[in-house]
Amino acid sequence: ERGGNNSFTHEALTLKYKLDNQFELVFVVGFQKILTLTYVDKLIDDVHKEFRDKYRNEFQQKGTLGLLNGTFDFKDDFMRLLRDAEESSKVRAPTVMKTFEQSLKSQKTVKCMIETRGDKPKEKVKNKKKGSKKEGTEAVVATGKASTGDKQPSAAGDREELTKDEILQKNREEFFKRHMKAGEKSSKSPKPEAQKEKGKKPRVWDLGNSNAKVLDYSNSATNGSTEACPVEEFDPNTALGDRNREPGRLYDLEYESDDEAEEEKVIQNPSKPSAKKGGLGGMFGMLKGLVGSKSLTREDMDPVLEKMKDHLIAKNVAAEIAVQLCESVAKKLEGKVMGTFTTVTSTVKQALQEALVQILQPQRCVDVLRDVMDAQRHRRPYVVTFCGVNGVGKSTNLAKISFWLIENGFSVLIAACDTFRAGAVEQLRTHTRRLNALHPPERHGGRTMVQLYEKGYGKDAAGIAMEAISYARNQGFDVVLVDTAGRMQDNAPLMTALAKLIAVNAPDLVLFVGEALVGNEAVDQLVKFNKALADHSMAQTPRLIDGIVLTKFDTIDDKVGAAISMTYITSKPIVFVGTGQTYCDLRSLNAKAVVAALMKA
Amino acid sequence: AMAGGLEPHLEALRRELRASDPAVISVLLALLVVAITLLIWRFVQGRRSSRKAVLLLGLCDAGKTLLFARLLTGKYRDTQTSITDSSAVYRVSTEKSAHVTLIDLPGHESLRLQFLERFKAAARAIVFVVDSVAFQREVKDVAEFLYQVLVDGTVLKNAPPLLIACNKQDVTMAKSAKLIQQQLEKELNTLRVTRSAAPTSLDGSAMGGPAQLGKKGKDFDFSQLPMKVEFLECSARGSKGEEGDADFEGLEKWLAKIA
Repeated sequence: ERGGNNSFTHEALTLKYKLDNQFELVFVVGFQKILTLTYVDKLIDDVHKEFRDKYRNEFQQKGTLGLLNGTFDFKDDFMRLLRDAEESSKVRAPTVMKTFEQSLKSQKTVKCMIETRGDKPKEKVKNKKKGSKKEGTEAVVATGKASTGDKQPSAAGDREELTKDEILQKNREEFFKRHMKAGEKSSKSPKPEAQKEKGKKPRVWDLGNSNAKVLDYSNSATNGSTEACPVEEFDPNTALGDRNREPGRLYDLEYESDDEAEEEKVIQNPSKPSAKKGGLGGMFGMLKGLVGSKSLTREDMDPVLEKMKDHLIAKNVAAEIAVQLCESVAKKLEGKVMGTFTTVTSTVKQALQEALVQILQPQRCVDVLRDVMDAQRHRRPYVVTFCGVNGVGKSTNLAKISFWLIENGFSVLIAACDTFRAGAVEQLRTHTRRLNALHPPERHGGRTMVQLYEKGYGKDAAGIAMEAISYARNQGFDVVLVDTAGRMQDNAPLMTALAKLIAVNAPDLVLFVGEALVGNEAVDQLVKFNKALADHSMAQTPRLIDGIVLTKFDTIDDKVGAAISMTYITSKPIVFVGTGQTYCDLRSLNAKAVVAALMKA
Repeated sequence: AMAGGLEPHLEALRRELRASDPAVISVLLALLVVAITLLIWRFVQGRRSSRKAVLLLGLCDAGKTLLFARLLTGKYRDTQTSITDSSAVYRVSTEKSAHVTLIDLPGHESLRLQFLERFKAAARAIVFVVDSVAFQREVKDVAEFLYQVLVDGTVLKNAPPLLIACNKQDVTMAKSAKLIQQQLEKELNTLRVTRSAAPTSLDGSAMGGPAQLGKKGKDFDFSQLPMKVEFLECSARGSKGEEGDADFEGLEKWLAKIA
């Protein structure tokens, strides 16, 4: 669903494409990435127009059979268009820079180039001086030193292209204009120090010569003295606030919903009139659209898409993702012919719904049980690693997943690679004990279904993971669940450590645990995690995040946008959904239900 | 006595009708005609079931689009990965009257489910095209897609006949239909266990169904399915390459049977 941008890069090639939604055609142009061809866009437009006009009959009348049977001999036309495009881009030869003699500057005297503030520019003396470079640079320096010259002289003077020197001069003027305006408040008189033409003068800063004393505004010796703060300014009543509060008690945050409602209303009001106007126009457009087939234009779709975008953002989809989604839907629908009795709104909603369902059901469905069976056959443990930021529910969901695996008859080894957080190992030990109580060894032929592998706190996580995996292989465990410490995505050393753990141990499944409450942060988290994993991996194809576990799903009613944000960024499926804190609160994602909740008004 | 009872009533009715305004009568008559027409129309529609489509499903690069082109035109065409569906009416060569709509759906993973959703209700029969050469590598993916098709609620309800066409038989390394059948049965056997054991879906409905494929307790067999399943070997390219015809008489015969 990245239809928003129209170019795609793959290895050494760049592909640019254009969609024709009316006849369902795709035009693709490929060229080498290192070339920057300026005529590509124009070429693709020309090809599109010509192809469409030439074969319009075939498209309209015969449908698929026409496409199959028809011959589309477009090669000659295409070669002609390509040649035209190439030639048109060659026409403008690169402009040669003027020499200094040719420029107008060499003809000016230095005197007339000195600008004083407020003075009108003097007449340029067209003396043909022996334009020496030195003079030129000096002139530039001189103008720079002068106080704010306005742009007028330089603009009024040369009508031709500015040379690099001129541009430099102009920029310097602007800079000094800004700088000077801030400094000088009182003196209006310019400082024509630049009148001296010979030799280099030291630059004089306005405030630089003054003593440090002048710059010191602090009152002398106020440290520690009680006279510093005048007594009458301190009013104990207002300073302490509410006198009636109990000393030492921490009050709850008072939730004032009125303010927020007011804000919303204020924001709503300006948008309402525009919506009304759009509504009236939309109504007529709807009537027009009800009869006969009309093709969708950008203007028709824009108000609807705006509304949909705001709706999505209100449902906790990350802002940039909502924008990109709406862009791609617009691109896909532009020019499409609507059937009778369909409104613009319904078409756009339908397209958006399809796009959302497609996003939530990306490539390969991760079937954990199937893969575990495969690994079992090869007599090696199936390793799953959980990573994510702090406090998203990694350990809780790890316990839930191990419960689920035990229910299906697989033995689990939990590797406590969170060696940082206080109580992490004890938490996992408690879970292990409970799980073993729920599934005692007698029920499973004398095997302990869950075991904890831990080495205490402060050790290297990657090392513990490696030992845990080899222990599991020796003891014949089916699955190894590796719990890592939570870390912020900006914390470079911790991200390196995580990447090292994953690169060294090569787990079968890397699950990113994210909470459903996260908003725009989801994008940042996932991007940075993936980047860290890709950067620090030695292999040719780095191990990236393979799946997402969406936790705390019971805390959001229908603001399920985080699911969309996460799957959009990674293109990986949501493998599990956590909906509570007990062992049974593990679900799988139902794309249609989530999209329905998302689209509900 | 009954007839005697009716007579006065009929007389009363006739008198009523004669008394009332002719306009009212004509309006009533018109409404009656419209109602009868609607009934007949709906009856006809329902009878000539709206399921007239034969879907061509399969993984990417299985040969669906080439098969489609060959069936319709008999000629060889260079094909690209489909990104949208193509449909056309196919006339069975033996009887001129019988025709079906062939619909070729894209096999790409990100598109296949979406198009299946759209067309599954109209499916009178399904042709599942399998790449016999790459089958060993793709067994799991083929089985996964086939599983998704088979447990779909609409498909189970309509039970359209299923033909598994083992394509690309012109290549020497192609697996036979028998082998493909055995492998698929084994894989589906495993899949139905793992899928039904997956955590239940968010809104309570279990994924992969309370729809249990086949019979519990016994190993999965294609004969346990509610629809008729056949396996067939064919080659869209044909043994003589691009010039000659495709080898798919079996497929054509099966389509003739369906139509």
